[in-house]
Amino acid sequence: MQKEMPQESVAWNVLVVEDDARARAFFETSVHDSPGLQLLACLSSVAEVKAWLGGADVVPDVLLVDLGLPDGSGLEVIRAVSARFPSCEPLVVSVFGDEESVLTSIEAGAVGYIHKDAAPEDIAQTILEMKRGASPISPMIARRVLAKYRSLQAAQPLSASPVPAAPGEGASSLLSVREMEVLTLIARGFSYAEIARLSGLSIHTVQTHIKNLYGKLAVHSKNEAVFEATRLGLLK
Amino acid sequence: MGGRAATFWRPTWHRLWRGLLLGWLCWAGGWVTLAQAEEATLLVLRNAVLQGAVEVDGGGVQPLVRQDVQLPYHWDRRHRNRAGEAVFELHFTLPPGEVQDVQAAQSDPDAHTRAGHSASAYSLFFPLIGNAAEVWLNDKLLTELGDLKARNQDDFSKVGRHLRVPPSLLQADNQLRIKIRADGGRRGGLSEVYFGRMELVVAQKAASASTWRLGGSLFLGAFSLVVGLIAMTCWFTQLVPGPDGVLRRDSLYLSAGLAELCWALRVFDALIERPPLSWPWWGVVMTLAYAGWIGGVMLFSLRAAGLATHASAPYVRGGAWTLIALAGVMSALSFYRFEPLWLTAWLALAGVCGLLGVVTFSVATWRNPSTARWVLTAAGLLNVAVGVRDWVVIRLSENLGAFTWSRYVTIAFGLALLFVVMQRFKQASGQARELLQSMRTQVAEREQELASTYARLEAVAREQARTAERERILRDMHDGVGSHLSAAIRQLQAGRADERELLRTLRDSMDQLKLSIDAMQFPAGDVDAMLAALRYRLEPRLTGAGITLVWAVEELRPRPFLDAAGLRKLQFLLFEAISNVLQHAQAQTLQIAARMVGEEVEIRVSDDGCGFDASRVPRALQARAMSLDGRLQVRSGPGGTEVSIVI
Repeated sequence: MQKEMPQESVAWNVLVVEDDARARAFFETSVHDSPGLQLLACLSSVAEVKAWLGGADVVPDVLLVDLGLPDGSGLEVIRAVSARFPSCEPLVVSVFGDEESVLTSIEAGAVGYIHKDAAPEDIAQTILEMKRGASPISPMIARRVLAKYRSLQAAQPLSASPVPAAPGEGASSLLSVREMEVLTLIARGFSYAEIARLSGLSIHTVQTHIKNLYGKLAVHSKNEAVFEATRLGLLK
Repeated sequence: MGGRAATFWRPTWHRLWRGLLLGWLCWAGGWVTLAQAEEATLLVLRNAVLQGAVEVDGGGVQPLVRQDVQLPYHWDRRHRNRAGEAVFELHFTLPPGEVQDVQAAQSDPDAHTRAGHSASAYSLFFPLIGNAAEVWLNDKLLTELGDLKARNQDDFSKVGRHLRVPPSLLQADNQLRIKIRADGGRRGGLSEVYFGRMELVVAQKAASASTWRLGGSLFLGAFSLVVGLIAMTCWFTQLVPGPDGVLRRDSLYLSAGLAELCWALRVFDALIERPPLSWPWWGVVMTLAYAGWIGGVMLFSLRAAGLATHASAPYVRGGAWTLIALAGVMSALSFYRFEPLWLTAWLALAGVCGLLGVVTFSVATWRNPSTARWVLTAAGLLNVAVGVRDWVVIRLSENLGAFTWSRYVTIAFGLALLFVVMQRFKQASGQARELLQSMRTQVAEREQELASTYARLEAVAREQARTAERERILRDMHDGVGSHLSAAIRQLQAGRADERELLRTLRDSMDQLKLSIDAMQFPAGDVDAMLAALRYRLEPRLTGAGITLVWAVEELRPRPFLDAAGLRKLQFLLFEAISNVLQHAQAQTLQIAARMVGEEVEIRVSDDGCGFDASRVPRALQARAMSLDGRLQVRSGPGGTEVSIVI
């Protein structure tokens, strides 16, 4: 666990959206205990978020949002906040075993996830590492992402994706060769260190590949939505 | 046709047929009465001088003494169906007015024409001349009709002959010499001869003869042929289920078709001057054709009236076939024995049969009237009546120039036949359509039933799958989490609550829960996925206990026989092994290795701990390995332990 670098004197602003009071308190404590993080606000419903966004003057750097909110889905919150503050990076609060929701959130723009039952230090660490460019991932999520990319690639000739094809790689034009490699190795259970050793990269590079992967997924998903909407005549 | 259109047309259709029939009958009747009026301005030559020879038994000929005879000269009557040849000499003088005209034309044809007179054409008309003949006028050959020398071959006697006479040949007194060849029983001879200006001859005699005999025969023959062919086509293509359910053709159409085809042959015969068979075979064939017509009509009427199953049906059928058989026999007798009585007798028999048939039919129609039966009855009565007339005129009277009327009247029957055939056909196709419709409805119903059955089966299958899954989860919970938690509770209750122990138990339960949730989502047979997830879940525990994990898992091929339950068992097994290491081994490193050995997968969990007594293999491990059909091997010593499983 690394302490904040002295050069970065400003802590990251964290916006917490969680309806369960105990969990909310837990997150608040985690953020407070970490010197690199600063709690911006603690909200508990979609309506509150929208209200807050209306009068917000400080830019949140990190969004921590639970998916199951009383008056809507956390995805709405992600979309609303990203629209207002594009530089804010959302993280979802996931329950173990719910990889499907994690994937949906990533497609909606999340760049990582936090386990609800993780230790407070782990939560703070995940946030800080994510800000440094390393998104969390598990073998199960990696498998899901691989499956998603395969289905996207199969459907690609039918859609006009503006994502440019990676040079030389015919199998998947959405992911680069390296990204595919890293993803596959994670799915097979290797740790970052082992992957780094096997592919001759640094651990940090391996981790940033993950974050980039997530970004591409989100972009592609959004483009797909736009394309579909145009095709159906909903947008002009 | 749509329902409304059909009901509109049906009565109209019937009315049309009836109207046609009625109109035709009236017109035929009218024609008959008119035909009796004699021509006025033509010369009718009835006196002739005959000279010739007749064949006798034994091949010789008996000469005919030169004698005066009256035309018409009915050869068969005079000579009892014997063949022979003769020469008729006739004389006639031109009417005075005509003589000048002719002479003027002869001397100066051009001036005559210039004077505006048309070249007066004259002609002769012979209502009957044959069977072959040569006509000489004033010792000049006018025409040859057939070959006088060839016996029993061609026949020119069947239609009236119209001969144009060039005026150059005419004189005031003219001698007409007609040589004929008559075949036995073939209705040869010479009728009265008509002479006059061509326009008149044509108008009064030739035209009508031509129209009626020639044109009529052609038209009627064609009509019968067409009806016959339609009926035969219907017979060939219509397959109806019989009383025993077997599809067979309807003999109704066959009788009608054959009858009409026979009749067509007989009608066309009038136009055939050179028949394919020589006489008298051709005569027998013609009689058979006539018999075929009568027999066919009888059989047809029987079936059309629906009397095919009547008690008298077999007699009718037998009668029809007998008639046909007798036709061949009696006509042959008639010709070969030179006894025309045989043929006359057969025709009388045919007439009687016809009459009987029609009468019976009328009675049946009276009892159960229907349009088809009325139509057939009317046509039948007409045909029989005309048949009788023909019999009287042709077989009994001396009139040589008369021809049969039957052929003109049978058109009524042909129409009736066609009507019945079409009706039947419409009925059959209607039935076929209904059948098709009902089949379609049935198929649709069956499909629906099938679809609903499938839906039900599917629902049941899904329910079963859900139940199975639920049970598995419950068992899982009980085996995994449940057992750990109950262990912790027992520990607390017993007061033997070691905080560290308790924490470990609770952590174990948590891990078990996560593992079992992961297990629900593994693809079947994917050992890689299971191992990766296992590492992800358990490595923090190992790191927390200060144990380094070495990951030596190679790429494994999927094992299709390992379903979700199998993978879960494997997971349990490995968890047990790792748990043991955590609990007892006090190791520094733990290695998880996996590789393919041929078609099998080998997984090894080894540590460098203190080991244990390998002879006492933990029962839990053993049990799980056995349930997986795998081979478990445990090696343990002071330097470490290795648990390997091969499946």
